[in-house]
Amino acid sequence: MLRKVIVGLLVSLVFLIGVPLQAAEFPTKEVQVIIPWAPGGATDLIFRALAATTGKYLGKAVVIINRPGAGGAVGYTEGMRAAPDGYTLTSAVTPLTILPHQVTTAFTYKNFDAVINVVSDPSMFLVRSDSQWKTLKEFVDYAKKNPGMITVGNSGAGGGVHLVALAFEKAAGVKFNHIPFSGGGPSVTALLGGHIHAVSVSPPEGIEHVKSGRLKIMALFAEKRFELFPDVPTVREQGINFVMGMWRGLIAPKGTPPDVIKKLHDAFKQGMDDPVFRKNARDMSVNLHYLGPEAFEKLMAHDHEFFGQLVKEIKK
Amino acid sequence: MFESLQHLANGFGIAGTIHNLFYCLIGCIVGTLIGVLPGIGPIAGIALLIPATFSLNATSAIIMLAGIYYGAMYGGSTTSILLNVPGETASVITCIDGYQMAQKGRAGPALAIVSIGSFIAGTIGIFGLVFLAPPLAEAALAFGPPEYFSLMVFGFIVLSNVTGKSLIKSLMMAIVGLIIGTIGLDPVTGNERFTFGSISLLSGIEFVAVAIGLFGIGEVLTNVNQPSELLDQGVIMPRLRELYPSLQDLKKSIGAILRGTGLGFGVGLVPGPAPVIATYSSYMIERKISKHPEEFGKGAIEGVAGPESANNSACQSAFIPLFVLGIPFGPVTAIILGALLIHGVNPGPMMIGQHPELFWGVIASMYIGNFILLILNLPLVPLFANILRIPKRILLPLVILFCITGQYTVNNSVFDIWMMLIFGVMGFLMRKWAYEGAPLLLALVLGPKLEVAFRQSLMISHGNFGIFVDRPVSMAFLLATVIFLLLPVFKIIVKSLKKGGT
Repeated sequence: MLRKVIVGLLVSLVFLIGVPLQAAEFPTKEVQVIIPWAPGGATDLIFRALAATTGKYLGKAVVIINRPGAGGAVGYTEGMRAAPDGYTLTSAVTPLTILPHQVTTAFTYKNFDAVINVVSDPSMFLVRSDSQWKTLKEFVDYAKKNPGMITVGNSGAGGGVHLVALAFEKAAGVKFNHIPFSGGGPSVTALLGGHIHAVSVSPPEGIEHVKSGRLKIMALFAEKRFELFPDVPTVREQGINFVMGMWRGLIAPKGTPPDVIKKLHDAFKQGMDDPVFRKNARDMSVNLHYLGPEAFEKLMAHDHEFFGQLVKEIKK
Repeated sequence: MFESLQHLANGFGIAGTIHNLFYCLIGCIVGTLIGVLPGIGPIAGIALLIPATFSLNATSAIIMLAGIYYGAMYGGSTTSILLNVPGETASVITCIDGYQMAQKGRAGPALAIVSIGSFIAGTIGIFGLVFLAPPLAEAALAFGPPEYFSLMVFGFIVLSNVTGKSLIKSLMMAIVGLIIGTIGLDPVTGNERFTFGSISLLSGIEFVAVAIGLFGIGEVLTNVNQPSELLDQGVIMPRLRELYPSLQDLKKSIGAILRGTGLGFGVGLVPGPAPVIATYSSYMIERKISKHPEEFGKGAIEGVAGPESANNSACQSAFIPLFVLGIPFGPVTAIILGALLIHGVNPGPMMIGQHPELFWGVIASMYIGNFILLILNLPLVPLFANILRIPKRILLPLVILFCITGQYTVNNSVFDIWMMLIFGVMGFLMRKWAYEGAPLLLALVLGPKLEVAFRQSLMISHGNFGIFVDRPVSMAFLLATVIFLLLPVFKIIVKSLKKGGT
């Protein structure tokens, strides 16, 4: 009787964690995607949606694993050290090309093989709708008169939106007080509660709250206006020449076999083209931007150089 | 109010279809299983099952996933009670009195009271969710970094001596926990701290490894250290009529259950480590107001009933910020948020208006699910209680095996297993010299969050410490902390004055 109980428990345990089987055909088990940020942030939301539609084309489930910490360094280090067999991918987001310039990291984009780019989003500043600043001009003027007094939340020190905020400071000739949070979700929550003045994010973070009217877009660092909010002008239209965004794609550890990369790329491409994902992306107002492995590799190489320069200038 | 009831009635209509009842049942069964197994928790369980919901509609999917969540909360304490192995943060406190009850042959009543308490807490929690959700969600937003910091300070000071043994030893253990909590990457600057170049240490020390090590492995080693005759004995055999709580047990527990429910519901609204604060403070309160505090730590049923109820109602109220604001405050609700999104539902302030069938259907299903869990869990009590009939000579190695497999499933990391074993040895030594594990675990959970909130607050205030006392909510917590610290002093003064008078 008791043995049955224990055997039963162990058997169910094995079922729950899944048995890694050896087989020639990729994939034979679920594919993991490491998200180096907390659940509920932009990267997390986008790849959860993509994982859902890609599963059926890949033939195995795509599982999201969050490894937050230190602006992404924890997740990328883990992703880099995973076996290059295609079963562990990492979500590549702009900070991958920023972080190595700021702190000593074990990785750069060169430690990975590009798989696919999925999204490119403009960055933006959100404020509460009842904020004391009505326009970008008021906001920037106040910041000029009171350097370091406006608190701007970001999703982690040295992370992408933090650097965007730093670069915008330089472009607008102002100084903010940057407050790091552990992801875009917590920083938006702090803004909703009125604990900080503004938050540096990129869609879909905070979009639902802009739709409901609790938050508004103070500064949009895009080439063109949002389809969803055609009344919000970009900062370039208002005289500050500053455009910056975030891309989000998938990478595999260096040395993953090319045919495995191709299979993954094809499945995720199909997942991207799936009407369900397209609708989700539209609802989140993220900007789909497909790039194949070579083009994505080039983009990462370009940004690695670009942010290297920017970080050097800021550190001066 | 009336409108809410009408919506709720519609919700029952949706949740009561055979289709949705079926998914509710599956969620509850899987949740119970996940809860019973140490290591694998509701987060991993839900994440693994999200792909299985692709073909379902959004309401059925969330009904099932929510079922896993609260189902795991029911089952989570089973190994704590039987084997002294806490599978997750929420069931650490249950080890203290639950395991002692089991050692005295009262595993049955302990397991049963968990189910009963969870059911009552879940039911009340759902009503809170229906009627109080919108205003409460707004209140939760009032917690910014300074409030959060003060709440943690309060929790830390008040709860570190949770078992009420030696204050000095408890504080020593809390400091050890704080130190362990600093290992890993600095959350604000990203610098490595105490990692000694080890990549495995970058993300810090896994909580589950410390918990299972200190409690589960530590207990096994303590047993092994005893004379070998003792190892041939099983635990005192429970008689059949003692498998379920007596009327006296229920009478003792009901107050604890109700207090735990209220407490858990409030704490669950606050972002962060709600289960830990809820269970620790419930235990603390029950011990303080008990007429026989000396029973705590030796198998007091209130010490099981209160924290387990608190844990369950915290799990219900955690859905409030998710459904009302679209903001997940904890990792489990964050995963459910992801699931909503996958099903084309955008969680946010307009979700209840846009998808009323989903919101009210899920709420009603939680109520039904609580019934299912009660019916599912009570008959399992004798089955689980009988595990203790195994002689220790056979049971203890099995416990080690169980701990190792459980630990491995958390991160698939062998490093974590070594950590667990190291903390097992530490747990053995601590037991030998009468140090408590609970304050260490509390500090390990609260410490890193306390640090981040402290640094964020000071960054916001440009280094001005006034931020902690200028804000009313934060001030209230700090004041409460001071009062708590001064209370014993006042008592002594009052006593000596009285003595002086007579």
